[in-house]
Amino acid sequence: MQSYWFGDVSEGRCSPVAVDIVAIVNRVLSLSTQMDAFIPPDWQQAVSCGVCSDRADYLVRLQEVCIAAAERSVREHYAGKDAELLQMVRTLDEMDTVINLLSERAADWYMVRHPAFSRKYRRTPSHILVRTIREKSRGALGKVAGEIEQLAETRTALAKEVSARANDVMPNTSALIGGLVAARLMAHAGGLLPLSRLPASAIQVLGARTALFSHLKTHTPSPKHGIIFQHRRVHNAPRDLRGRVARVLAGKLAIAARLDYFRGITAPEFLEQAQNSIDTAGKGNGL
Amino acid sequence: MIWIGDVLVSLGEGGVYNERMLGSARIWEPYRSKLAAFYHVGKGVELVPSLRVLYLGAANGTTVSHVADYCEVVYAVEFAPRPMQDLIEVARRRRNVIPIMADATRPETYAPLVEAVDLVYQDVAQPDQASIAIRNCVFLKPGGYLILMLKTRSVDVRKDPLIVFDETLLALEEAGFTVQESVWLAPYHQDHAAIICVKPEKPGE
Repeated sequence: MQSYWFGDVSEGRCSPVAVDIVAIVNRVLSLSTQMDAFIPPDWQQAVSCGVCSDRADYLVRLQEVCIAAAERSVREHYAGKDAELLQMVRTLDEMDTVINLLSERAADWYMVRHPAFSRKYRRTPSHILVRTIREKSRGALGKVAGEIEQLAETRTALAKEVSARANDVMPNTSALIGGLVAARLMAHAGGLLPLSRLPASAIQVLGARTALFSHLKTHTPSPKHGIIFQHRRVHNAPRDLRGRVARVLAGKLAIAARLDYFRGITAPEFLEQAQNSIDTAGKGNGL
Repeated sequence: MIWIGDVLVSLGEGGVYNERMLGSARIWEPYRSKLAAFYHVGKGVELVPSLRVLYLGAANGTTVSHVADYCEVVYAVEFAPRPMQDLIEVARRRRNVIPIMADATRPETYAPLVEAVDLVYQDVAQPDQASIAIRNCVFLKPGGYLILMLKTRSVDVRKDPLIVFDETLLALEEAGFTVQESVWLAPYHQDHAAIICVKPEKPGE
C-alpha cells in the first residue's frame, strides 16, 4: 500500500482520507514512507479518490495543503522558548559592536575639533568620553553622542531582559555560568536543542572558531576556551589552571544544557555537585 | 530559455525580490542565481512549460520564482524556517509553487506529496550533496534530468574544489547516472560547479 497526502492507494484502489484540510495537514506531517517500495503519487489517483476533479484542481488542493503544513511547521519552530532569546542575544551582541564603532568614530571626530585633546594618561571610560562629547559639542556630533548614550541605555535594559529570560529558559546552564553567557552559548549553538546535543569539548571552544581552525590547520596551540572565558571562574583562574577550569566547566555545562532541554527545571543536587567540582578544578590540586 | 539580447529573463509577475525588469520580463541575474549563471556559462536544460520540477534547497524562493515562470509546477523543499516564510509568500502569489518544509536528506518525510518529476534541481549547502541527489532521484522519471549545483566548499572547505568535483562525478556515475554536462560557474560564483545528469531509461542499464 502507498500512503499519499490525499489517501491510501492499494492495488489500484484509492481510499480517501478526510476532506478537512486540518486533518490532511495532520496526516502529511505524520506520514513516514518506506522509500524502497515507494512509487510517487499520481494526480489521476487523486481524481479517482474523489479529492479533486482534474490536474489543475489537484495542484490547487495540494498547494493549499502544503502552504498550511509549512505555515504550521514554521509556527512550531518559533514556538520554542529559546527562539526569541536567540534573537535577543544576537541583537545585544550587534548593539555592542555598533556602540563601540560609533564611540570610536565620535572620539575621532571630537579630536579633529580639539587638536590638543588626547585620551592618553586619562583612563576615561568610553561612556564618560561620549558624555563629554555630547556636552561639549554642537550640531550633529553632539547629537550622535546623545544617540550613542541612548543606545547604551537600551543595551543595558536588553541585557537585563536577556539574563532574566535565560534564567527561565535554561535554568541549570544559567546557574553555572550566568544568564548572559548561557544565552550567548545557546545563540552560538543555534538554539537549546543544538546546544544540548553538543559534546562538552565543543562547548568549551564555542566562539573560538578562528583559533580552533588555525589549530587544526597549522598546529598552533589548541584554544582552551571560547565564550566561557567570559565567566569569572575561567578568566579569574591562574593562567596555568584556566584550561582545566574551562574543561571541567564545559563538561558540567554540557550536562546542564541537556537538563535544561529535556527537563526544563533546576536540578539542585546536580548544581551543587557541579559547582564543587568546578571550584576544586580552580584550586589547582585534587583531580 | 528566453533571452533579450544577452540578458536572461523569465515571464511572470515581477516584484518578487525587487528584481529589475526589462519591459514586462523579469531579469534573471547570473550573479544572484546559480541556475541563471549556468545558462550563461553552459548549455543547461531547456525549461519548458510541461516540466514538473523538484527543487531542493529552495531558500527564499528567488530562483524558484524564475523556474516557476518557465515550468508547470515546482515542488520547493526548504528546511530552515526563516527562508520558508518568504517561500510561502512566493507560493501564495504563484499557483505552481508547492512549498515543503522538510529536510532534503530525508525524502521519506515529503514523499507522499511529490509526484514523479522531469527535473530534480538541487542547491543545498550540505557535505553529502551527491548522496542527497541520489536519494531524491526516486522522484525522477526515467530519462529525467538532475541538475546538481555543487557547492564544493560545503562538502569540505579544506579539500581542493577540483577533487571534490571529481569525487562527486564519480559518485553520480556509480549510482547509474550519465553525466551530460559539467561546468564551473566562474566568474559568477566561486568554487561552485553545475552538473547535469540523466537518469537511465531502465534502472541498471
